Amino acid sequence: MAKIVVEGLKYRYPLSQKLALNDISFEINEGEFIGIIGANGAGKSTLCQALTGIVPLFFKGDYGGRVIIDDVEVAKSNLSEISLKIGMVFQNPFTQITGSKLTVYEEVAFGLENMGFEREEMKRRIDDALMLLDLYRHKDKNPFDLSGGQMQRLAIASIIAMQPKIIVLDEPTSQLDPQGSNEVFKAVSDLKKKGITVIMVEHKVEKLSEYADRIMLLHDGRLIDFDTPSKIFSKDDLKDYGVVEPVFTRYCKKIGLKDERGLYPVTLDEAVNLVVKKREHNS
Amino acid sequence: MNIIVKDLYFYYKEGEDVLKGINLEFDDRCTAIIGQNGAGKTTFVKLLKGLLKPKKGDIFIKGLNTKETTVAKLASIIGLVFQNPNDQIFKNKVLDEVMFGPLNIGQDKNLAFENAKKALELVALLQKADENPYDLTLSERKLISIASILAMDTDIIILDEPTIAQDFISREKIKNIIKKLKEEGKLVITITHDMDFVAENFERTIVFNQGQVLLDGPTKEVFSKEDILKTAHLEPPYITQLFKRLGFSETVLNLEEALNYKIL
Amino acid sequence: MRMMSLYKDKDTIIHKIDPLNKILYILASILITMLISDFKILTLTLVFSFLLLAIGKVIKNVFPIISFSLIVLVTIVVIQGLFNPNNKIPLFNIGQFVFYKEGIIYSFLLILRVLNILCAFSLLILTTKPSDLIENLVRRGLSPKLGYVLASVLQIIPQMLSTMDTILDAQRSRGLETEGKLIKRLKAFIPLIGPAVMNSLISTRERAMALEMRGFNSNIKKTFLNEHNETSMDKLIRYLIIALIIFTIVWRLVWLK
Ligand SMILES: Nc1ncnc2c1ncn2[C@@H]1O[C@H](COP(=O)(O)OP(=O)(O)OP(=O)(O)O)[C@@H](O)[C@H]1O
Ligand SMILES: Nc1ncnc2c1ncn2[C@@H]1O[C@H](COP(=O)(O)OP(=O)(O)OP(=O)(O)O)[C@@H](O)[C@H]1O
Ligand SMILES: [Mg+2]
Ligand SMILES: [Mg+2]
Repeated sequence: MAKIVVEGLKYRYPLSQKLALNDISFEINEGEFIGIIGANGAGKSTLCQALTGIVPLFFKGDYGGRVIIDDVEVAKSNLSEISLKIGMVFQNPFTQITGSKLTVYEEVAFGLENMGFEREEMKRRIDDALMLLDLYRHKDKNPFDLSGGQMQRLAIASIIAMQPKIIVLDEPTSQLDPQGSNEVFKAVSDLKKKGITVIMVEHKVEKLSEYADRIMLLHDGRLIDFDTPSKIFSKDDLKDYGVVEPVFTRYCKKIGLKDERGLYPVTLDEAVNLVVKKREHNS
Repeated sequence: MNIIVKDLYFYYKEGEDVLKGINLEFDDRCTAIIGQNGAGKTTFVKLLKGLLKPKKGDIFIKGLNTKETTVAKLASIIGLVFQNPNDQIFKNKVLDEVMFGPLNIGQDKNLAFENAKKALELVALLQKADENPYDLTLSERKLISIASILAMDTDIIILDEPTIAQDFISREKIKNIIKKLKEEGKLVITITHDMDFVAENFERTIVFNQGQVLLDGPTKEVFSKEDILKTAHLEPPYITQLFKRLGFSETVLNLEEALNYKIL
Repeated sequence: MRMMSLYKDKDTIIHKIDPLNKILYILASILITMLISDFKILTLTLVFSFLLLAIGKVIKNVFPIISFSLIVLVTIVVIQGLFNPNNKIPLFNIGQFVFYKEGIIYSFLLILRVLNILCAFSLLILTTKPSDLIENLVRRGLSPKLGYVLASVLQIIPQMLSTMDTILDAQRSRGLETEGKLIKRLKAFIPLIGPAVMNSLISTRERAMALEMRGFNSNIKKTFLNEHNETSMDKLIRYLIIALIIFTIVWRLVWLK
């Protein structure tokens, strides 16, 4: 069971005065899709790196509390073990290319070779991942000759091919075209349906609300709230945390349209359904 | 006319055309360029900037042919914020980074310093002026790269995906910067994948698709053509989608416009 | 960005030979040239190497390498011809300098040796993709980590160069005149070195984290995407070279007696 338990997690980067993570506790169940939102500098990337053990195993600094995955404490194991279970797509797509492979196809193979897969299995996974991210026609290109969005797709494909039990994505769609980011959300939620735990930092709250089971709101290194998208985005002090609701929610807040539980719609479908229901009710 | 592009062709590798016959003119309307990943948007603006030269066709920036002008000469007329801030930043101090451009195009030390300060203030990073840009996060580095172009005070400003990694507040900041530049009579061209950002800020929208211009017109008109957008892997802004679904035939572009309608 | 190498991508039998065999060929070539001081044999092996290079369609790429070492070779001839301790019989003179037969013969032998080894190395370098060579070594037990380091070292110089290009673009974008006169370009180039190194270091740290997440340090036995079938031809070649090496050593021992 890939269950994640975080208890009183604190972290400060070396040479920094302020806590990047300040007393964070939560639990995530196997197969959940978790969204993380928060202003720039809130600690989203740092939290992702703490879940994957990069903090503190890679960055030193002051560390307190515990991150436990499958009953194993992350800070006490080593990265090579963790990397077999957790995959992470980093925020910056330009620095995730291994630099030792000459083609897109071989680049995706890098992780699979390290995991020791048979050739046939490897090829199947690479083909699938490249198809999924619409990169197949670029498979023989040098990874450094890709456009920004294509590079980001490659970073995602490389991790998805490894099929980790937990996948952490730090703003994976920031440079993707709308259809591309829809596809990534769909692909990732297909993984979730297979029981894989998904954790995703996103500024695209409209999409996140559609797919995430729960959303974590971070501010200044603290966990402000951790709840369903409707509850999170129905809060009225979001601006204080530098985040914004999905545009549907913002609109409904402006015209005072909420459901019988007092919650605002957060997705396109919810908004449409609510309006239709109100219209029926009115006539 | 600020920019004239005539029958432009470009490839990185012979036989694989990335841009295939582009004809465009830019007046001073604030313009968004959108399109699928790999459509050739970044390549196009690098050509405008003179960093790449046309394989066929010509580009005129305020009458200057990019083939016959050095990049450095063009630099006082046209500024480009790179898609990847790592490709742009090379100094060890934020302030030096932002002052680099102004000093090179002939501003004296004091003026360059003032302009740099103003630009940093606009992106709200003045307090980091003495830090090393390499210690900043991706979102901050992106803002620094915007500031270093603003400080040069060029007539034409191109932003390649300015909102990458930006939160709501910084996004609003960039929005205000664009508005201010527009008021100063400058031409702003922005590449972005954020359709709502396009709808909120730009008068004109150009859709690139596989190296060609698929659509070009007032933003509202472009976003009314949902089917064509789809072929370019794009979609209308969320609020536009909402009003379509609610049965409105008009293209509602943004929240402000939306509030003029009665939906119940 | 490309790997730095002299590799010439052609489709010949030589290119298909197992890189290990080419390494063995270098070994054999070193051994033979060290153990044997016979003009005829050394000329023969040199001709054979040239033949292989010709089959590999890279013969014209060897000449730059040879001419590059020509300076060294000429120096050898001069020094040996003038100052070899065994010099007795004068051969010719240039001005007041007298060149001796013993020294000249000795230096020609030396040159023959150098050329032999140079050609054997060229055969490996010109006809083997560096990444294939490294992968081949990793397959045969070289630590994958060392393999990665080797592979990325091959990329470091081109990476630095491309970083410099990038920074150059960033600078001229902001008004620094970098086109035109050489001196102007040089002036723009020198201040680039610092940032280029810095940039590479930063991306190295971020890349190292990304590598960790791709199982780079896992203890699992690594597998390979690219198939590697050792053909019977490869085996045959290998046995032939090994036999040749043994034969040379034995022959040399016998001959010594
Ligand atoms: N390597 C580092 N060294 C020192 N401080 C750091 C480092 N990385 C991040 N920080 C600081 O830690 C805090 C949290 O940063 P983090 O990158 O986790 O934020 P974030 O929520 O991911 O922001 P963004 O939306 O910009 O990606 C910030 O104050 C940041 O300046
Ligand atoms: N240096 C290069 N060498 C070879 N091909 C390149 C190079 N740079 C870009 N390309 C290719 O040219 C095409 C256009 O790339 P460009 O970067 O202009 O796309 P883009 O529209 O900006 O995409 P994105 O939205 O992903 O940033 C892509 O297919 C890309 O793979
Ligand atoms: Mg982050
Ligand atoms: Mg681009």
